[in-house]
Amino acid sequence: MRVGDIAVGRAGDKGDMLDLTLVAADEAAYSLICQALSASAVQAMLNKVVPGPVLRYELPGLKALKFVMPEALAGGVYATLRPGLHWQKAAIWLLLDLDIDTQSLALKLAQGEAS
Amino acid sequence: MFNAPTWGFEMSNTSKPVYRIGAGAGFAGDRVDPAVALAASGQVDAVALECLAERTLVPAINARAANPEAGADPRLRRRLTPLLPAAASTGCKIISNLGAANPRAAGQSIASLAKDLGIKGLRVAAIEGDDVMHLRQHVAWVRPVEGRLIGAHAYLGCVPMALALEDGADVVVTGRVADSALFAAPVRQFLDGSDNALAGALTVGHLLECGGQLTGGNYETLGGPKPGNPLSAADFAALGYPLAHVYADGSADITVLDDAPALVDALTCTLQLLYEVHNPARYATPDLVLDFTGIRFEQSGPKLVHMSGARTSGPPPTLKVAGFLELPGFIADCEIGFAGTGALARAQRAADTLRLRLSDWPAQDIAIDLVGMNAVLRAGSLARGEPAELRVHVSARCQDLEMAQVIEDEVYALTLSGPAGGCSVRSERRNRIEVLDGFIDPSLIRTNILWSHS
Repeated sequence: MRVGDIAVGRAGDKGDMLDLTLVAADEAAYSLICQALSASAVQAMLNKVVPGPVLRYELPGLKALKFVMPEALAGGVYATLRPGLHWQKAAIWLLLDLDIDTQSLALKLAQGEAS
Repeated sequence: MFNAPTWGFEMSNTSKPVYRIGAGAGFAGDRVDPAVALAASGQVDAVALECLAERTLVPAINARAANPEAGADPRLRRRLTPLLPAAASTGCKIISNLGAANPRAAGQSIASLAKDLGIKGLRVAAIEGDDVMHLRQHVAWVRPVEGRLIGAHAYLGCVPMALALEDGADVVVTGRVADSALFAAPVRQFLDGSDNALAGALTVGHLLECGGQLTGGNYETLGGPKPGNPLSAADFAALGYPLAHVYADGSADITVLDDAPALVDALTCTLQLLYEVHNPARYATPDLVLDFTGIRFEQSGPKLVHMSGARTSGPPPTLKVAGFLELPGFIADCEIGFAGTGALARAQRAADTLRLRLSDWPAQDIAIDLVGMNAVLRAGSLARGEPAELRVHVSARCQDLEMAQVIEDEVYALTLSGPAGGCSVRSERRNRIEVLDGFIDPSLIRTNILWSHS
């Protein structure tokens, strides 16, 4: 299942920092993205596109995940060698377009709750 | 100041809001009409316009260096000519950071514009003190200063603006202040006095500061675009900007003017709450460090969301400073198009030709890619069939204008000596400006209120 089918998202920036926010449609979707999108999984995927570590913040009350990449936009958005300015507005599709295996995740979640 | 509420829906809180504020702009080039609609409606007590992104200060600083009377937002007259009469007709306050690098000149321009428009007795307060260039030795920069420091501005909080409003200002104009403070400033005196209430008003400001981004702009609904997506092109073209009814405890109802096209729900509000925030439990503003983890959004009507739960751990020890560094050289950014059958193969061959021609360029200073394939998301792009048209893109860091010319000439040369049909060439050169963050002791900052009258 595509992440963008169960969550909405937006990319932002501050200086060198890229930040990606996902807000899940409901509690079940929040559990799925929490499970599928660990900081290390997201870093492995994003490192093909932007450098540096990934920090993850969980906001269960808001059903939201926040990913922060402090070194992703070295020199800020105006130092980019991508065409034009503000390419980072599109960066959220790196997460929205991810396919997650919802069946195996749901199974893992159920087992986790049972144990 | 506060008139009897006239809106036609049921409030989610039985107590009455103490202040109503609207978002009139979310960046320097934002639409002019939303602020006019809000001010003319009589449904808000103030409209705040955020017109000063981090980099927007750079051209303003350069303009002021060339002419001491310049450095305010060049859009001031275009933006305020329709807004001042609308606001005067309802008694709506105007608060904006469009003073940019010269709030004093902006205040005088606004008073003078009001006179030209026949508005008498308008009191305009300009807030100075954010320019800390003279204090740069006292700024703790996050990395060493490399290049030429052309300006340094501290993010001020809401207090100087709030004092000017309490002293009767109709318009408050500033330079660099925290965006959230523009909105909290007029609300502050009506709150219950607790830190958490001010945290709520600052959170409202954080939600409203990007204008249409809270009400359905830059927002894709679940599952992506599809028929029935709530906002049509006509809706976007007339998108309602947000307004908030703030309660004494800092909670608020977020909505838009009656009948304005918009999308206001818990998802749009949550996305904006977390937008450009690092640690959501410790979001530092000049006035207070905000904790967003307890915020709750509750849909309480059509296009109406109740926000509650803002908290704070108190004021921050330092104020943030944005320094601007001018680095030598330019970025040359060029493109050449290919169209028709085989466009992809010809574009790929053109890109490879450029890689050979520019193979001496340091790899970290050049990017060659295909717009329409992988220029934006690079390896994260998903190919979906062959496009009918493509553009080969080159950006390169260049030591000087002559080197920028070399890059541009190599791209143009493809039209004669590259794959067939290279077309629609364009190129631009950008100065290399970087932002350097720093921190300063707030006790070193001296703010000043300058008054002008029409």
